[in-house]
Amino acid sequence: MKFGLFYEISVPRPWTPEKERTVYNNCLEQVKLADELGFEHVWAVEHHFLEEYSHCSAPELFLTACAMVTRNMQVGHGIVVCVPEFNHPIKIAEKTATLDILSGGRLHVGTGRSATWTELGGFRANPDITKKSWDEFVRCLPKMWMQETFSYQGEFWSMPERTILPKPYQKPHPPMWVAVTSPGTEIDAADRGLGSLGLSFAGFEEQEKKIKEYRRRIQMCEPVGAFVNEQVATTNFLFCHEDNATGVEMGKRLGNTFNYLATQLISTREVYSSPSYQSLGLLPALRRAATGPDANEQQTEGMAYGDPARIIRAVKKWESLGVDCINFILNANEVVPQDQVMASLRLFAREVMPHFAKKPANVDALGAGAPKAQAAE
Amino acid sequence: MPLYGTLDITQDSKHLPTLANLDTEAWALPKAETMQLLVEVPRRSTDGLLPKAMHPALPSYVILAVTRYPESPVGPFNLAVLRLGSRAGAHPRGFLLGAIASTDAAAMELRARWGIPVEQGEVKFVRRHDRIMGTVKKDGRTILDCALINPQPVAGTDVQYINWVTAANAPIDGQTQPMLIQVDPKYTFYKAERGTPHVATFDGKAWNAGSIELADPIVATCCTVDTDLPRIRFVMDPIKPVFQGTRRIRESRADE
Repeated sequence: MKFGLFYEISVPRPWTPEKERTVYNNCLEQVKLADELGFEHVWAVEHHFLEEYSHCSAPELFLTACAMVTRNMQVGHGIVVCVPEFNHPIKIAEKTATLDILSGGRLHVGTGRSATWTELGGFRANPDITKKSWDEFVRCLPKMWMQETFSYQGEFWSMPERTILPKPYQKPHPPMWVAVTSPGTEIDAADRGLGSLGLSFAGFEEQEKKIKEYRRRIQMCEPVGAFVNEQVATTNFLFCHEDNATGVEMGKRLGNTFNYLATQLISTREVYSSPSYQSLGLLPALRRAATGPDANEQQTEGMAYGDPARIIRAVKKWESLGVDCINFILNANEVVPQDQVMASLRLFAREVMPHFAKKPANVDALGAGAPKAQAAE
Repeated sequence: MPLYGTLDITQDSKHLPTLANLDTEAWALPKAETMQLLVEVPRRSTDGLLPKAMHPALPSYVILAVTRYPESPVGPFNLAVLRLGSRAGAHPRGFLLGAIASTDAAAMELRARWGIPVEQGEVKFVRRHDRIMGTVKKDGRTILDCALINPQPVAGTDVQYINWVTAANAPIDGQTQPMLIQVDPKYTFYKAERGTPHVATFDGKAWNAGSIELADPIVATCCTVDTDLPRIRFVMDPIKPVFQGTRRIRESRADE
């Protein structure tokens, strides 16, 4: 089991001049500590116009900063929106290769197509064709990275022969992933040999089904890249505290805040009737989690908050289902004070990670009392 | 946390529809043809139109709907409504700003039973092969002239309708008071089409939305559905956030 961080970069109103800067700085401070503690990934989303929920519209810049303040953590561009109105494929190839160089070969590239009308409408993108354009983009990217020269004539974009530069530091190219929210996207990932970057918080049963199907299908895949990236990552909230009740209470607050903000997004399906968006993605589950008298009960299954013992149980369950990596959301709208986020990371690294992690954490970064837990068998 | 509406309906509730009770029976509305146009509107143009209990949709948008109901307990009628895209807590809703029904009986009953702010006028729903048209006249003046251009078949499963919220005076706890009422029709689809929305005339004032300016069209749909106007299940305090101020009136639709 590997552990990572997952950033939407949520900024609460009012947006005073210092607010966004403070949130970004908090995130970088967390990333720097997480690197010292032995977390292995930091992922950052690409979202546009999503007020409060995500102010992370230029993740490649944030991730470059992350790479500069870390030594070991891999940086995950997750996800790059593979829709022409958002990102030209040449620019994606160039920017990701540059980030891979600057990070010393620590880049992972997540791909996706956007799920909200707020974003698709904002770029005047046609929701009907985003799955198709995503498919074209993910087929082209590895070739653009690997081939000395590249030319292309497709349905959604084309280019005459040119040399796309720079080339990624990693050879043959960085690992590729796809964001999995809508039902069936795990099959899209498997069939293309891509990692499954789970962005939903569904319960164990649903995730287990998805993972089994992914593992089965990927054995027969035609990879879009030079290698198969068979990995399943999932997303979770993290708040670790010595006192279980305190940890659960703050964790629920974090989860409820994130979910409530997420449910304010206008999913594409809500306003634009299209066969390309049959599902509301993760929103129905978040709505159930964010409202109603049963909200708290539903939300706690498998959530990584509470005391270390509780979190260990949750993570072991995810591990038993075949999850390779859990990426943690640490905050939403800054409801968790920064010092508590940092303390939670330290406690998690000291008490939980040794039960799973292969890489020992930096003892200095663990803080007082380290190390306490036994190493994993 | 998300933005809230700014309209306090308790400050001027006299013009709101008044319900005698919250026990209206459901209406079955078979084989209705309903055309919906979704159009983005500038956020500033919606200021003051959404109750304090609700969150605005971001971006702001409105739903213009013209529906032909060939059967109802008050006979056939056409209904045109303007709804403002919004959220009740975590749930997408269309807050009803204004409505015109083609018969007096329909207008009276819709006001009295579900709190729909409806007046009587002329509502036409016209289907052609190249377009589906809706026109609404009030006091002889055209207040809406819209169309779905170039209808193309889609699956009913491609279409999502969101529930409505009306503002009305209604009795609860022994006192008639302003409240928000959730109206949540169900739909069984027979036919669904999608096309480009076009609005030639829109008089916002006539829809109780004088400030609304139509901006970017999103999409238009036209569906043939069995639908209904159900019994009232939830009412909401117009001032409190809905997760604090929602009251369940009856358990579920199973009791209809």
